[in-house]
Amino acid sequence: MTVATCLPAIGGVELELGAITRNWRNGAAKLQQLAQPNLAFFPRTLTPMLETLAMAVVGAVTAAILSIPVTLWAARASNPSALGRQAVRFVVNVVRAVPDLVYATILVAMIGVGTLPGVVTLILFDIGVVVKLVSEAIDSADHPYIEAGRAAGGTQSQINRRTVLPQSWPFFANQWLYSLELNVRISAILGIVGAGGIGRLLDERRAFYTYEDVSLIILEILVVVVLIELLSQQARRRLR
Amino acid sequence: MTPDEHATAAVGAHAPATARSLTLEHVSVTYPGGTRALRDISLSIAPGEMVSVVGLSGSGKSTLIRTINGLVPATSGRVLVGEQVVGGLSGRGLRELRGGIGMIFQGFNLAERTSVLSNVRVGRFAHSPTWRTLLGIASTEDTRIITEALDSVGMLERAWSRAGALSGGQKQRVAIARALAQQPSVMLADEPVASLDPPTAHSVMGDLLRINQERGLTVLVNLHLMDLARQYTTRMIGLRDGELVFDGPAAGATDTDFETIYGRSIQRRDVLGSAS
Repeated sequence: MTVATCLPAIGGVELELGAITRNWRNGAAKLQQLAQPNLAFFPRTLTPMLETLAMAVVGAVTAAILSIPVTLWAARASNPSALGRQAVRFVVNVVRAVPDLVYATILVAMIGVGTLPGVVTLILFDIGVVVKLVSEAIDSADHPYIEAGRAAGGTQSQINRRTVLPQSWPFFANQWLYSLELNVRISAILGIVGAGGIGRLLDERRAFYTYEDVSLIILEILVVVVLIELLSQQARRRLR
Repeated sequence: MTPDEHATAAVGAHAPATARSLTLEHVSVTYPGGTRALRDISLSIAPGEMVSVVGLSGSGKSTLIRTINGLVPATSGRVLVGEQVVGGLSGRGLRELRGGIGMIFQGFNLAERTSVLSNVRVGRFAHSPTWRTLLGIASTEDTRIITEALDSVGMLERAWSRAGALSGGQKQRVAIARALAQQPSVMLADEPVASLDPPTAHSVMGDLLRINQERGLTVLVNLHLMDLARQYTTRMIGLRDGELVFDGPAAGATDTDFETIYGRSIQRRDVLGSAS
């Protein structure tokens, strides 16, 4: 006790330890609120939560489709042209370098508040992740069948479509499922800048200091993320 | 199908395989790193010959076989398939030439995650328009050729199996079917049995011999085992350090000839042994 009361004088810096003793109760009150999720709020979270899920799925599926050709252009095994490969990789790196919140903010300004800017943000983010990781996975694997396809007189696109792609499905599927998981998490944040979904409600309840409601929303996000994780684990097992 | 149609179909599958000759004129290959893989090789192989290329690993046999379909370009000299000069070709011309030359590999080179059927379809790449391949729609003609190719190596029942689930011998048979689906006039085989156990090796060599005899294809097969060369091929080409050191009837090749090719005395590992 004596040490604690003496400390603030040291070095002449006025550390108001008293503030901590006074204020920690405020935080504790919030924690206490958080510990008591307001289940009565559940019906109001339902629509935004479904909106978030829809955003996550639409974003992931669109990104998955777009990622197929872009990934094949970015991998050495499926694109022998070094120049084309470097160009695609450069663009993808630029896309990856911009933080998702920046995309969302700009897109909300361009398109308006709603789910569309959120979905477009998710697509850009997912393509960046999938193309980078899958093209690297493809390049680190062996592709002896490519020489066979070439020896049989096939064009690169024939070889890619009939052999490289089916060989690479597991790489793709892994990243697609992962991007779906990420999307649920990210879209919770995107709502803060007006890009739709559960995030908008989360931000609203936080602004009203109704932490019981915030707690319920966080809990729901956790449940959804865990559920998607379980589903994708099942899917991955089946792919092997 | 009427009996008449059946007859044409059966002939059709073999028909385009008018064997072609292979000619190498002073061919040398130097790789970008400076390695000289082939030094001034000249030889000519008549249509329908069954020829082995024998040498230790690193002797240049893989390079030699790959100059014929242009997978490795000759640094100097000329390679001819029939009347066609390989060196001057690129793009469509090169793909068309390759479409007429089947090739099988030591490691089978199959897309293991896909079906046997998909792998054999690769053999039709050069013979069907790209849009067909991309959409995955095989013409009835292609389907018939693929079926016939699989049937001729006894793998038709496994058409829907995953290629990776097959045994080594079965994989090599699928690879042979893939090459046959090209309806080739020349068959190249790069150490086709080096990854197989002795009985399977003999049966795969038997398949190659049968293809040579029944379809009249020119077959060029790389081997490092002397007894396989003697037993299955009629003519043998010996390579040592990228140079031609032997060219003559395989059956007449003496142990001394093999010692010249290997550059050392014969050892037990130079012989596979008989099938049992």
